Amino acid sequence: MSVRKVLIANRGEIAVRIIRACREMDVSTVAVYSECDRAALHVRFADEAYAIGPSPPRESYLRIDRIIEAARKSGADAVHPGYGFLAENEDFAAAVRDAGLTFIGPTPEAVALMGSKTEARLAALRAGVPVVPGTETALDPDVPDEEIARIAQGIGYPVLVKAVAGGGGKGMRTVTDPADLLNAVRAARSEAGSAFGDAAVYFERRVVRPRHVEVQLLGDHHGTVIPFVERECSIQRRHQKVVEETPSLAVTPEIRRAMTSAAASVARAVGYTNAGTIEFLLDESGHFYFLEMNTRLQVEHPVTEMVTGIDLVRWQIRIAQGERLDIDPALAGTPRGHALECRIYAEDPDNNFLPSPGRIQQLRAPSGPGIRDDSGATAGLDVPIFYDPMISKLVAWAEDRPSAVARMRRALAEYVVSGIKTTLPFFTWLLQQPAFASGQFHTTYLDEVLKSRNGRPFVEPTPETEAVAAVAAALQIALARTSGGGSVGTTGADGALANQPSGHWKARARAEALR
Amino acid sequence: MRYELEVQGRRRQVQVRRTNGRFAVDVDGRTWSVDAVRVDAHTLSLLMTDGAGPESTPPGGRSQEIVVAANPGLATLTARVEGVAVEVNPKTRVRQGRGGEGSHSGPQRLTAPMPGKVVRVLVNPGDTVVARQPVVVIEAMKMENELRAQRDGRVIEVAVRDGQSVEASALLAVIADSGSP
Repeated sequence: MSVRKVLIANRGEIAVRIIRACREMDVSTVAVYSECDRAALHVRFADEAYAIGPSPPRESYLRIDRIIEAARKSGADAVHPGYGFLAENEDFAAAVRDAGLTFIGPTPEAVALMGSKTEARLAALRAGVPVVPGTETALDPDVPDEEIARIAQGIGYPVLVKAVAGGGGKGMRTVTDPADLLNAVRAARSEAGSAFGDAAVYFERRVVRPRHVEVQLLGDHHGTVIPFVERECSIQRRHQKVVEETPSLAVTPEIRRAMTSAAASVARAVGYTNAGTIEFLLDESGHFYFLEMNTRLQVEHPVTEMVTGIDLVRWQIRIAQGERLDIDPALAGTPRGHALECRIYAEDPDNNFLPSPGRIQQLRAPSGPGIRDDSGATAGLDVPIFYDPMISKLVAWAEDRPSAVARMRRALAEYVVSGIKTTLPFFTWLLQQPAFASGQFHTTYLDEVLKSRNGRPFVEPTPETEAVAAVAAALQIALARTSGGGSVGTTGADGALANQPSGHWKARARAEALR
Repeated sequence: MRYELEVQGRRRQVQVRRTNGRFAVDVDGRTWSVDAVRVDAHTLSLLMTDGAGPESTPPGGRSQEIVVAANPGLATLTARVEGVAVEVNPKTRVRQGRGGEGSHSGPQRLTAPMPGKVVRVLVNPGDTVVARQPVVVIEAMKMENELRAQRDGRVIEVAVRDGQSVEASALLAVIADSGSP
């Protein structure tokens, strides 16, 4: 069952990423697109492309029937879901299989099992992997006070009292001192009762200042599971990752061995195939707890590729066509150098990260040693309002972390995007923060520091940059006027004008007309 | 050639003269000698030296690559200088020997940057607001976005209500600057 033609059920940078892997394997590619994506890069890059409906995702990228129809029409033999949209939808994985096509991902059964938080937690426990300690079910309303105290003691303080029907922080209490426990339980029960009509509460250990560390893995159809060196994803804004790196400064070789083998045990226990990621919380004393499993390729997969040299998308396709995973486990588990990724968004960081959709006028991505830019954006394209506004993932690799951070700063300075606002200035600021440089951060670090800044701009022009802007604006107007709206002596985008006496001469002649 | 520009809201007097293939550009009394090349319609490469500069030497100086973008729907430009976006409002060309006219910014008109739904209006007419205070929350692109006041002021009009759908550029609220009538 060799894969010869892949339909990519996605858009943006990840569709482009998958098309690139296919090209390198001589596999044909089929793109699908919504109305507003007709001119998108993934459509232009693919061998074939088919419209699947109007711009809102529900009417296009989430339409299983139309995607399967496009696969039939194009004669594709496999479907790659990317991430987001239908990537973790077991009905989609099943529909692809039922249509006689190969799904480049796990089985629908594995997607369903690991997609349920409680089922996934039980699977981890069965595999002997620690989960955040807690009561598996609600406390009985008649349980005596001494028993409540004993249960809390068994879980360990600080304890989180949580409403079973909870959400939004209602019916939730943190208890640090055992003396406060019974009052907190009473308060949480009454709050939960009035808010949700269900007073049931349960206990969970509160992991203090945790890091988010995750383990990428691949599994083939012959029983082999290989875990990769961890990724550190603690830099988050409103629970969304914004910077990912590998390896984690908080992970010692001992923790790495324990964590990767725990991840592999969970995957083996559920017979997992293809690419997946197991997320852990890592506490300050080096204990880690299973959080959840993502049954797909992740946004941040490039950092793993950079330090291991292994192409994860290529392996997804090879696994899907039944090949054996013959990677050296040591190669996957040992980082060569350090890599980090910044998710560049079409958002205005100086305006509370407000989305900034619109047309990209100019775009120049950085390049040079150790830089990778996975992007679906080009100049002339609109960033649509319908989808996640991420325009690029900028990845830097170097032999150690300080060099990788320096390289990323260099690349951020080279990146030109005009016409829309982006989070580039935010990353320029973040990479200068002492806590980032020292690696001393946890999952709430960024939200805390952003709150304390109270919306101050990340990068402000100095009097010098303002003066240079004034000079440039005046010259831009002057030069545009003298050349009748075009550019003075421009010979193309290569900037060769400076070396062309005739061009200079013309510029002078036109500049003369200024006076 | 004289220009009056508003750079980051501050008025600047700029004079551009051609000198021997280069430009002498004066910004509020400070002069640079500038070798300027337009790479494309949006990109300028400048080599700048302080002062009018010796005219006979080959061009050279501090290299600045500037990307200028027109702001859609507005008469302003964004000039990207060393990775920093600088807002420039080019006033009309000013003739020799005539000064510019004073500009009055007027009340802030808070508008929707994109189509969306008003989740919450956080102020009432008559309320005093401070710079960066959230005024309206709009849900768009699957996120709740707080729209904030740019400057201190007093709310004189609220043009939307909770739950209302708005188009891009729809007026949300008008805020009079502190001190203005």
